[in-house]
Amino acid sequence: MSGAQDISWFSLGYCLLLVVIPLAVSWYLRLKLSKEIIVSVIRMITQLFLVGIFLVYIFDLDNLWLTFAWLMMMVLFATHSVISKSKLCWRCFLFPTMLSFAVATVTVLLYFNGLVIRLDNIFEAKYIIALAGMLLGNSLRGNIIGVNSFYDRIRRNENRYLYRLSAGATKFEACLPYIRQGLKDAILPMTATVATMGIVALPGMMTGQILGGSSPMVAIKYQIAIMIAILAAMTISITMSLALTIRNNFDPYGRLRKEVFRDSKDR
Amino acid sequence: MMIDFNKVNLKYKNKTILKEFSLKIEKGDKILLYGKSGIGKSTILRLLLSFISPDSGNIIYKGKPLTPEIAWQARKEIAYVSQDTDLGEGTVQEIIDEIRSFKTNKNLSDPIQLLKEFSLDRNILKKNITELSGGERQRIAIIIALLLKRDIFLLDELTSSLDSALKKKVIEKFFGRNDATVIAISHDPGWKEKAKKVVRLR
Repeated sequence: MSGAQDISWFSLGYCLLLVVIPLAVSWYLRLKLSKEIIVSVIRMITQLFLVGIFLVYIFDLDNLWLTFAWLMMMVLFATHSVISKSKLCWRCFLFPTMLSFAVATVTVLLYFNGLVIRLDNIFEAKYIIALAGMLLGNSLRGNIIGVNSFYDRIRRNENRYLYRLSAGATKFEACLPYIRQGLKDAILPMTATVATMGIVALPGMMTGQILGGSSPMVAIKYQIAIMIAILAAMTISITMSLALTIRNNFDPYGRLRKEVFRDSKDR
Repeated sequence: MMIDFNKVNLKYKNKTILKEFSLKIEKGDKILLYGKSGIGKSTILRLLLSFISPDSGNIIYKGKPLTPEIAWQARKEIAYVSQDTDLGEGTVQEIIDEIRSFKTNKNLSDPIQLLKEFSLDRNILKKNITELSGGERQRIAIIIALLLKRDIFLLDELTSSLDSALKKKVIEKFFGRNDATVIAISHDPGWKEKAKKVVRLR
């Protein structure tokens, strides 16, 4: 592979100049977004530089433990992002969500590298990290939606849940419609994305591969494979998050614990 | 002794709901709980179903304190209908099927006979629950409670949206059964007439 045309540091400066456009609009229409725009761009530059430097080393070393340590860091950040974007309590969700992300990502990755791409070394750092990023990044939103939907609906429709208990349901039986709804809420938007793939926009990975010198046919095969992998990883992680959190977030009488929500104290 | 509330205290948001509340219920009792609204009548039923737990005092169910294990057992032996009952989503048939899907309710019988008895057309099974009137929904909840074949009934303002003929029928259906233990809450004098015991909360 020849790789994409490198962008010189000088040219990157030209690109930065484009930031003037959103800043100008913000100033002209008094959006008061200048600070947000500048901060977000600086954050991105710093993060990506650090990631770039790390990845060069990690790909060069290609050490199994280092690769997995990096993978776990990604899982930790994904978990952090899911919980902080929800109203759910840290203590009740941190560990189960992390475990679900880790299991879902690792199993789907190894299956993918071994049976789909058929790598000689299924632990090759380049593939593990790049693909894990796509799996985590894309199943993140689904997880936020699915887990939130489950707990929020039980809280909002408490009488409906309690009615099921009163009719003799076990905890699992009483939770089942909420589990179904949570999974539906999470998976449906993803199927919409899958169904419009290639029409609305060329996905990032395909663009990258094409610029990187791959033929479009190779790029679409990867894209098809990765979208299906995302769907699988997302389903595994949400189902697991729900299964693990349902165990502890209800009291022995089957009532949803108040502490599950961060805002429970204000209520 | 079927059910025994023994000096139960309960506060909610710093407001006393029940203070030293005691009530003994024998098998086959037909009890009407009576009193101003907001006095804690519904709370008594919710305590028995362990939707909430008392701050202090005991609730004894069939001779045993209401531990989690006993509570899960009790819910399989009790039928509960409240004016706030939220049956769920879907058509009436789907809602009945959903209740039937619980392992303990596998033998739920056919509702056709009861539908007729409560003046409902069988086509109502195909209707979405949101299309039903308050009275129709109330009757569906009552029918499900009867289908469950439980022998303890907790009924909270069961007939508030029913006309007097249906009201009479419902009261007879529950208070007229020898084997059933019934605790009802209602402001309606019809229930008071037929109750064996009237408990007034103050």
